[in-house]
Amino acid sequence: MLLMSGVSKTYPSGAVALRNIDVHIKPGEFVFVVGPSGAGKSTFIKMLFREVLPTTGKIFVDGVDVLSLKPNEVPYLRRQLGIIFQDYRLLPDRTVAENVAFAMRVIESPANQIDKRVAEVLELVGLRSRAENYPGELSGGEQQRVAIARAIVNDPLMVIADEPTGNLDPETSLEIMNIFSEINKNGTTIIMATHDKTMVDYMQKRVIAIEDGYIVRDEVKGVYGYDPEE
Amino acid sequence: MTLRSKNYFVKETFNSIKRNQLMSFASISTVALSLLVLGLFLLMVLNANNLAQYLENQVQVTVYMQDGIKDNQVQAAQKSLEGMPGVIKVTKITKVEALDRFKQRLGDQIRLLDALGEDNPFPLSFDVQVDQPERIRALVPEIEKLPGVETAKFGREVVEHLFQLTKILRIGGLILVTLLAVATLFIISNTIRITVFARRREVSIMKYVGATNWFIRWPFLLEGMLMGFLGAVIASLFLIQIYLMLQNKIYTTLAFFPLIPSWPFLGYLTLFLIGIGTFIGAAGSSISLRKFLDV
Repeated sequence: MLLMSGVSKTYPSGAVALRNIDVHIKPGEFVFVVGPSGAGKSTFIKMLFREVLPTTGKIFVDGVDVLSLKPNEVPYLRRQLGIIFQDYRLLPDRTVAENVAFAMRVIESPANQIDKRVAEVLELVGLRSRAENYPGELSGGEQQRVAIARAIVNDPLMVIADEPTGNLDPETSLEIMNIFSEINKNGTTIIMATHDKTMVDYMQKRVIAIEDGYIVRDEVKGVYGYDPEE
Repeated sequence: MTLRSKNYFVKETFNSIKRNQLMSFASISTVALSLLVLGLFLLMVLNANNLAQYLENQVQVTVYMQDGIKDNQVQAAQKSLEGMPGVIKVTKITKVEALDRFKQRLGDQIRLLDALGEDNPFPLSFDVQVDQPERIRALVPEIEKLPGVETAKFGREVVEHLFQLTKILRIGGLILVTLLAVATLFIISNTIRITVFARRREVSIMKYVGATNWFIRWPFLLEGMLMGFLGAVIASLFLIQIYLMLQNKIYTTLAFFPLIPSWPFLGYLTLFLIGIGTFIGAAGSSISLRKFLDV
């Protein structure tokens, strides 16, 4: 599903974010990416949807050479991915249902499928009753669930989440993690950068630890491995 | 592009204009003003050209006789004129007739004549009709050699002066219009930039969920085009009003002045302005989108 080989990234400022990274993630895996702040997690995540290009190395997503894509082909790569951020990134002037439908509308899905599919994913994240509410009327956990619904509405091969529980309390985080587990059970690959020790230790999934741009640890049933303060 | 997407684009365009009412209003007004100036210059240049063409195609020479000429000399001159090659008709206009014609032309302003007192400054003249306008150039020197002839006037002389005028109008108009077009382009691209900025969150989400660049661009492009289009329509409406008013004025005071008939001329002019306005709108948006959307 994801293959990175010899990937390095040096920013124009001279800062080195990643050094010679080799990663292979198989379809259906659930992978945590952990490490101290500034270790290169964000760069790693952003490379997956070609927000950041590596200085050297190769990246393949579902067999597609991400780096050889022309700019007008990038949207089609992103349609295979569901991307989730710490700050939810919802449109405040649209309802929950409209926010989710937005992801289908911009890839020009047939109109008659949109309503049905939106109802389906809202059911999955447990927000069916909130469909007509605006994001401002929802709690943080609910907003993140809307973002998850939007990320999976187009049936992506891979869900990429950058600190999805970073703004949430432990109880809400657990709910969110359970939704990710649910999505993962349906065969969707999940790659999640996180600082959330409790969740990583609880989930017992593969953990890749990045420090100083290197992969220092890659364990099948890993733990967070850092002090919570970090 | 699906039908649903088209509806979406149109909806987004109108929403965006509504959200940025003030800037949209400024953009539309600038387009309208610029195109109005462009249109006025076009009206002038085209009418001057038209007048030049009209005069060039005149097949008439006016022959003015010396003052105090004898009747037998007049008759001799008329005979000679009638005998010249290509001349089809010679009409004599006496001093009295010439004065009457002028009185008619003056219309309401007949009081101006009071200054002349009893004098009649108009000489006796002949209107000489020729079969082809090309003949006139050769004919005029011949006519001027006839005894008793003061001078012979024909359209081409005026035409040459007129060409000078249209040249100045054209160059001046071109410079002014270019400047205005650049200003319009700048204003529209600025408006679109503000629109893009106001919607940057939406745009970034669109990029993450895999919207194509054209899907993101269309609403902004349409917005620019619509502003250009509306500006052009407003400019055209003003221009049509101005031209019709002018025509009315000229027909009642300077009836001999050949204005281009309003239809279909104004129709073409409107289409032309709308084309330019829409194009400037699209170009202005494109500049902004390239610079600020980075899609």
